This record gives sequence, C-alpha cells and structure tokens, in this order.
Amino acid sequence: MIKKKICLLGAFAVGKTSLVQRYVHSIFSEKYHTTVGVRIEKTQVRANDTDVDLIIWDLHGEDDFQHVRLSYLKGSSGCIYVADGTREKTLMTALNLKEIAENTIGEIPCVLVINKLDLKDQWEIDPLVLDDMKRNGMMIFQTSAKTGEVVQQAFQLLTRKMMEK
Amino acid sequence: MDSEAVEEKSLEAFKNLLLQPEKDRIRQIENRLNDPMIRAKETSLFLPEAISFSVLNSNRLSRVIQPVMDASLKESVRNNPKSIADAIFPALGPGIRKAISSTVMGMVQSLNQLLNHSFSFQGIKWRFEAFRTGKQFAEIVLLHTLVYKVEQIFLIHNESGIVLDHVTAKDVVIQDPDLVSGMLTAIQDFVKDSFDIRDDLETLRIGSDRSVWIEKGKHALIAAVIRGNPPVDLRIRFRELLEEIHIKSGMALEKFEGDASSFSIFREQLKDGLGFQNRKVKQKLSPLLICLILAVLSLAGIWGYHTFRSHQIWNAYLDRLKAEKGLIILSAQKEKGVYQVFGLRDPMVDDPEALLQPEEKSRIKIRGHWTPFYSLDPELILPRSRQILNPPPSITLDLSQGILLASGQASRDWIDIFQKTAPTIPGVKGYSDQGVLNMDREKLDAALKEISEIKLYFENNSTRFIKAQEDIFNKLLETVQNIQELQIKAKIQVQIMILGHTDSSGTESLNQRLSRDRAELVFNHLIVHGINPYFLTISGIGTKIPLKSETGAEERQYNRAVSFKVFYPLGEKG
Ligand SMILES: Nc1nc2c(ncn2[C@@H]2O[C@H](COP(=O)(O)OP(=O)(O)OP(=O)(O)O)[C@@H](O)[C@H]2O)c(=O)[nH]1
Ligand SMILES: [Mg+2]
Repeated sequence: MIKKKICLLGAFAVGKTSLVQRYVHSIFSEKYHTTVGVRIEKTQVRANDTDVDLIIWDLHGEDDFQHVRLSYLKGSSGCIYVADGTREKTLMTALNLKEIAENTIGEIPCVLVINKLDLKDQWEIDPLVLDDMKRNGMMIFQTSAKTGEVVQQAFQLLTRKMMEK
Repeated sequence: MDSEAVEEKSLEAFKNLLLQPEKDRIRQIENRLNDPMIRAKETSLFLPEAISFSVLNSNRLSRVIQPVMDASLKESVRNNPKSIADAIFPALGPGIRKAISSTVMGMVQSLNQLLNHSFSFQGIKWRFEAFRTGKQFAEIVLLHTLVYKVEQIFLIHNESGIVLDHVTAKDVVIQDPDLVSGMLTAIQDFVKDSFDIRDDLETLRIGSDRSVWIEKGKHALIAAVIRGNPPVDLRIRFRELLEEIHIKSGMALEKFEGDASSFSIFREQLKDGLGFQNRKVKQKLSPLLICLILAVLSLAGIWGYHTFRSHQIWNAYLDRLKAEKGLIILSAQKEKGVYQVFGLRDPMVDDPEALLQPEEKSRIKIRGHWTPFYSLDPELILPRSRQILNPPPSITLDLSQGILLASGQASRDWIDIFQKTAPTIPGVKGYSDQGVLNMDREKLDAALKEISEIKLYFENNSTRFIKAQEDIFNKLLETVQNIQELQIKAKIQVQIMILGHTDSSGTESLNQRLSRDRAELVFNHLIVHGINPYFLTISGIGTKIPLKSETGAEERQYNRAVSFKVFYPLGEKG
C-alpha cells in the first residue's frame, strides 16, 4: 500500500477543513471552527490503477498573526492551495504560500482551489486572472465544499500527479 | 679487427642510435621504480581515484585496510590519546549524555521504588523473597513494581509522518495508526518549533498512566504507546532496533516515497518490543476496603465467638437438663436462631429455665416446650406426696420401696386425707399410717380421762353443793366443752353419762331419787353453760356403785357426789 502525505494551505476561513470533510466524510457544516495547529485525515483513493492512502494534513489558516508552520510541510508529496472566491486577498495569500512552500521543500505536485463556488455571484476574483494562471501551467479548480462540486476532482487530479511523478 | 666484431660494433652503434631515447626512458623508469620516494609521490597523485574506484566496485578495500586502520588507531591512541579524545568528543558527547541521563533516571526510579517499599509489609515479604532467591532486593522490587504493557509500536517516517509499520498488542483498542502517527509528528514539530528546543521530544504523557516513548533516528522514529511503568532499559532496546533499521534500510528511508511495504521485514523485531510485565502481587487494597474487611472479619469473629459461646452454653444447659430428675428431653435443636428443646417435665421440677444463669440468659435464646408428666423417680415421689398431702409439720413422710410412710402426729382430718389420697399418688405403691398418732383422739382420750376423775360433792341428804367446789365446776365445764369439740374432730361419738350418787344412809328409793336430782342439777348447770344436751345423759344410781366403801363418816361424804362416765354409742373407734 502506497501512502502519500498531502497538505492543504491557504488563508483562514477559506474552507480548507470544509473541503477535507466534504471529501473524506461527505459532510458540510455552516459553522466555523477555526483549525488550531493541524488536523489529520485519511482516505483511500484509486489513481493510475493503484490504491493510495492519502494522509491529509489540514493546516491552520494563514493570517496576519499566525503564519503557517513550515515544518508541517515536511515529507509532503502534494499540496492543495485554497483560496476563497469571495475574498480576492485570499488568492494572493495562496500564491504567497505556494512560493514559500516551494522554497522550503522544493517543487511538488500541487493544485489551486478557489472555493465557495456556490457564492459565485459574490466572487471578487476575476475568472480572467485564473485563465491566465492556467495558461502558465497551474492547475486550478473552482469548488464548493458546501455543494460538493468539483471537490472530488481536485483531490483526484492531485493524487494522479503525485503518482506520475 | 675481425669483421664480425666490426659488425657487432656498428650494430651496437646503430642500436644506440636507434634505441637510445627508449633506453634512456627505460632507465628513467627503472630509476622511478627503484626510487621509493618518486613512487610514493606518484602514487599519492592517483590514490584518491584508486580508492574511490575500489569503493565503487566492491568493499574489498575496506576489508583489507581494516586491520591496518585498527592497528594504527591503537597506535595513535597509545601515542596521543588526547587528540583522539578531542576528535571524537563532539560525536560521543550527546550519546554519553543520553546514556548517563537514562541511567540516572533508572537509578532514581529504582531508588524511589526501593524507598516506597522498604518498610511496608510487602517490603518485608520482598526482602524475604530476595533472601530466598539470592537476588538483590532492588531487583525484586523492580520485578514486582515495574508493571507495564507496551500496547503499540509505530515505526514512523520522520519527514512525512507516514507509518512505515505498526504492531499492536493483543486486546488493545487502537485508532487509525496513520492518523495517530500524523498527529504525533505534528505534535513533535509543534513542540520543537514553539519552544525552540533542539532536543527531540522523548516522552509524551497521556492521562495518568499512559505515555508515548519516542526514540528518534535520522530518518525514522520508533514511538511506543506504553501503559504503566516500564523499565528504562526498554528505551535502549528501542534505540538498538532503530539503529539496526537505519543500517539495513537507510537508503529506503532516505528515498521514501510512500511505499512502506519493504519495512515489514522489521515486523517481528517490533513485535518483540511489545513486552509487558504483569503485576505478580495483588492489587494494593484500598484502606476503605481494608477497614471493611476488618469490620467484616471482626464481626465474623464476634459472631463466631458468640456462636461458639452460645453453643457452649447450650450444650452445658442440655447437660444440666439431662441430669435433672423429672425432665426427659425428647429433642433439641436450633431453629431461626432460637435454641428449642422439646420434652416431658414433671410438675415437681422447677422451671428448667432457672437452670440458666442470668448472664447466660442474656447470651442465648432458649425456648422450652414441656409436656407435663409424672416421673416415677423416687426422688420426686416424696416431694410430690408432700405437695399433694400437705402434711402438718408434726408429720414426717418417708418412702421405702414405694411405700409411703407417715409418722408423727396429725389431725383425724389429715389422716383421712392421707388414707384416701396416698394410694392415688403416682409412684406410691402403698402407704402406712401406723406411725401417725391421731392427735384429736389423744386429746379426746385425755379429756375423757380427766372428766372421769372429776367429782362434785353435795351436802348430806341434799342437792346443795358443798362449798369451795367452783374450781372443780369450772374444770368440769371446760373439759366437757373440750370433749364436745374433740369428739367431732376425732369423729368419735362420745356420750357423757352424769351419774348421781348417795351415801348408804336413808332408804333405797329416797337415795335413788336424791341421786337422780343431784345428776340433774349438774346436767342443768352444764346446759345453762352452753353444752349440747344430746351429748349428755343422766342417771341416778343411789348407792349401787359407791365411789368409796363407807368405813367411816368421812368416807360417806365421798359417796354424796356426782361422777362422770364416758361411753361410745358407736364403739370406741367412732
Ligand atoms: N457557502 C460556502 N461556505 C463555505 C464553503 N466552504 C467553507 N465554508 C464556510 O466557511 C467557513 C470556514 O470554513 P473552514 O472550512 O473552517 O475554513 P478553514 O480554511 O478550515 O479555516 P481555518 O481553519 O480557520 O483556516 C465555515 O463557516 C464554512 O461553513 C463553501 O464552499 N461555500
Ligand atoms: Mg480549518
């Protein structure tokens, strides 16, 4: 059995925990309990005809007072950077984190997730900006932890990229 | 010069001409080969490459060179120990520190336990065990108190926190090892970052008696979840295993990509770490429980003593009952805490409960169920006869071979009761009243004798009493009254005949008449004083039975009298 550690990174309250809960347990809650430190979940995925155990590290959100603890990134095989579509600033945070992470542990497979798709009418992030980034080779998903849209695909694709490497 | 020599010479010259440069080079090479200094210089140029080739192809070089290394190391230590010490100190320092600290911890641990158990009862027991087995006391204490169980062992990849292998003791409920391992790794990172300490986290405490021991190597760590109080040298075992894992699978650890299957080769060794030590001694009892047990024991003791005492009293009581005449025990048993005795009891026997002392009565509950019966025991026949006959104090009763003997004096009434009742008394076969004097009869006889001696005297040829006979008359009245009562008591009918007498002077008929008048006078006198006339008869007998033969005038006076005679109309026995 292959085991892979992945990390979720992003600003606070973008829906990292919600995405993991949706993906692993198919549940969603409107209530916001901020993650302290790290929360670890595990699930099995099948990618490239192999069963993989994903050990998912759901890290606390990045904000002005607390920076992501880089030591948590050690040994990761993949990363999901999460932004909140309704807050443009969180996209910057996500991209910042990506840079910091890659400086620390090197380049590893990753995906960028813009969450809260169900609130698309309130989005501050311009889809054209995202298209530009896609053209530069970044993998971007627009998801909703609330409805479950595209969540599965984001995790699945990351896993495949990790296995191909 | 012969041509051959010339030819040779020119050949030589030609050779020289042709081969001189080679020759020179060969000589040079010879020189190089023969000169150690030059060879050493040259060898030093390609030695590193040579060694690295050798290492790449096989590890023969290291094997070959090892004895040399050993020898030179020895030599070097002998010649200059200080420089060697300086060189290896940085490497050994942390290791030594670790070893010392765990040894000290072990010592403290055992000292604590030693002190804890030195003076307890258990301590004494263990001292004896140490004496018996020839082991050190401390060893015995550790043996008994280091109770622990290694529940789980994780082999974890340091960097990713991914579980390489995981073993579990039997009957231990576990969570997903990957999650536990992940959190464990995160916690370690957190502690290290937050508190800025260099040393690794070695022990995590969970609750009061569970801990996680972490032994960290370069690429992997062993984490053991332990319940209880394990010996410190367990840690050394983990460290040794970790070292072995690094030696054997260092490469795989370094290049770990998520495939943990190759680490299953250490499974058995990990399992060996799942040791445990069972407590050989029983759980220490809580003081409350001890109190409770003591209370129960003392209650049981009191109860036991009480039961024992009760039983003792009961048995003694039964023995006394059995010895008692007039009691027959049919059955005796204890029922619902009460000692019950069933039997027959002669009415003459006192209440059997009186055989218990008051002190005994307070300790034991006894209920007697007695059915009355007459015991034929001679000892009881007599008291029974006494009770039934109620003899006067003047009577003594005796029993001889079943015959009830009465002796002494008694009233006629009692004698009658005796005669009627004695034969009906249980156990009395016969009776005898021969020894009993009828007191009433005696008195009656005495009175009768008295009266027969009384005489009242009259003046000549007259019914007038001569003077100074008041006393006699009083005596007469008293005696007659007496007889009147006694004859009823003695149940003997008595008649008192008043006999009138005269002297021989005068005619027969006159004397007859005078004597009757004299008797009548006494009769009237008695009746006036309350005597029943039916009991008296009168008779004038004149001179027929003179009281004294008349030899002179003086004697004649004796015949002018009234005398009394008693007779029994129904016979002397009444
Ligand atoms: N409408 C909507 N709300 C979402 C979505 N995902 C998360 N939320 C809500 O956003 C809030 C924050 O979600 P979390 O998943 O706790 O966010 P987080 O990134 O884990 O936050 P931190 O742990 O504090 O960094 C919660 O109230 C969620 O219910 C989504 O897709 N749509
Ligand atoms: Mg969270």
